[in-house]
Amino acid sequence: MTISLHEVVPVPLKEKLLKQVSDIWNRAIVFNASEWIKIKAPSGTGKTTFIHSLYKLRTDYTGEIKWDNRNILTLSAEELAVVRQHKISIVFQDLRLFPHLTAYENIELNRVLQDPYCEKEQILEMAAVLGVTHILQQPASICSYGEQQRIAIIRALVQPFEWLIMDEPFSHLDKTNAAKAANLIADACKKRNAGIIITDLHDDDHFLYSSKLAL
Amino acid sequence: MKGLNILLRKLIKTGAGRIRFAMAMIGLSVAMVLILSAVQLQSNYNELLHGSANKDSIANFLVINKILTDQNLKNATLSATEIDDMKAQSFTDAVGILSSSRFKASIQSSSAQFPFYTDIAFESVPDSFLDVNTQEWSWDESSSFVPIIVPGMFLDIYNFQFSLSQGLPQLTREVVKMIFFQVNLYDQNGTPHTMRGRVVGFSDRISSLLVPQSFMDWANNRYGSAGSSAPSRIIIRTKDAGDPGLATYLKEKKLSTDQDKTRFSRYRQVVDLVVKISGVTGLLMLVFAILIFTLFIQLTISSCKDEIKLLLTLGASPKQLLFFLMRQFFPSNLLIIFFSVATVCTLQYLAHLFLQDQEVYIPVYISLPTLLTAFVVLLFIWTVNFINMRKYIKINY
Repeated sequence: MTISLHEVVPVPLKEKLLKQVSDIWNRAIVFNASEWIKIKAPSGTGKTTFIHSLYKLRTDYTGEIKWDNRNILTLSAEELAVVRQHKISIVFQDLRLFPHLTAYENIELNRVLQDPYCEKEQILEMAAVLGVTHILQQPASICSYGEQQRIAIIRALVQPFEWLIMDEPFSHLDKTNAAKAANLIADACKKRNAGIIITDLHDDDHFLYSSKLAL
Repeated sequence: MKGLNILLRKLIKTGAGRIRFAMAMIGLSVAMVLILSAVQLQSNYNELLHGSANKDSIANFLVINKILTDQNLKNATLSATEIDDMKAQSFTDAVGILSSSRFKASIQSSSAQFPFYTDIAFESVPDSFLDVNTQEWSWDESSSFVPIIVPGMFLDIYNFQFSLSQGLPQLTREVVKMIFFQVNLYDQNGTPHTMRGRVVGFSDRISSLLVPQSFMDWANNRYGSAGSSAPSRIIIRTKDAGDPGLATYLKEKKLSTDQDKTRFSRYRQVVDLVVKISGVTGLLMLVFAILIFTLFIQLTISSCKDEIKLLLTLGASPKQLLFFLMRQFFPSNLLIIFFSVATVCTLQYLAHLFLQDQEVYIPVYISLPTLLTAFVVLLFIWTVNFINMRKYIKINY
């Protein structure tokens, strides 16, 4: 699936963004299938707005965002659900776990939302790699932010996808854990031949990026 | 799907407002029982009117004649046009003509121990209008006796008035049916022709001495005067003697009938009233119950608004959530319908047993319209729930 943007400018940031140069805002840009794209930007330049717009969580922008040449504003709720279940997986900056479900249930939910892509055992394997096995049966609300971040990453990896969109996914991980998570993500994406769109404040070499852009 | 439903059940708690839920359920049950009872009551009533099991049912036979006035004293007959017009009325199922004898006749005892003699006249009516079902009801020239049907009232008068005052023995219907007597028919010259006769049945429907149509035709031909053959009385079968149209028609055409028969119009009014009250109460309760149920659904969905929102964000389709919610609520609706149908079935069975003793036959099972009503209401509840849930899920979308 290709994702393309045509002169997209978020309405709330319009005045500010039109004054500065950006690789993304107000440009025509195409993300081809399987590309790994890094988007670097300082705070307040609209990283989360960008991710949410790509995922069709918000629509307060001018211009067009297309999934496979289809303006995403024309998608019905059911069509959107299909894309989110099968084509685009996401790690939110604010994680968005269900606080009352256990860490394990949070992951499992995304696995069974569609015909399961992977086996249950893989949840345990990934949890072991990221060192969160011991908190799997805890309610997500009492896990630390770093633990929640790793749960959110595993949750994103148990579903089928063509694109993995991540909004500062390693913000609360130390270098070692970030590297482990990045390896896990890279393996999962290679296995699916999937693309990555990741935003961060800084430069990094977690992945072999096809391109690096600045917001 | 199973794993997903377990997780969804944890997220979308339907436990909020249990009392409201119970109230809606109880209301829905009572409403259903009332509505189904109303439909069943109407079906039972229709069955009583038209059913074949109720031979002597409240389906009515009315003997109709012109009201005698000074003007029509000698000519109170019904013309063919009048009879055809009667046939054409919606309340008329069938019309039978009462033919009367055009010769003099008498009956007398053939036994010296029990002497009696009386002049009489006969009438005859098509067999389908009789409420007496006997194989002896036939006559041809080779028959050994003339079968006669007597109004039940005659025997009552004899047993409870006449026999007591005359010191005669009381007679049961069975005994009377065993007695042969002499029937004398007089031709136009006054010569008697004697035959044997016997009572074969008692009618509570037609107050007349009845002989088979074949005998009447034969005797009228042979002994009768050549007078008018226009009938003065007819009998009609009607679905409902209480039909207001019938009463109006009779009044308009200056016809008269047994007023007592119209007592069934009272029953009909009562049944109508009960059906209406039960139906309207049921419908009102249904509306309120569905309203409470709708509020309950709204409450459930809004109490887990955040969860639903996040589920949709993560890619749960509105359809998935809708089906999940329907699965949570619909079984209880289904249960209520089953419960209501079972209740009405039981009531029907009990009513059947009770009325059987009163010789009124209603079906053991509930009617098809009742079942259909249950199905339609179920469909209605389902639709309302479906629309509500879709609406409230959309709000979170």
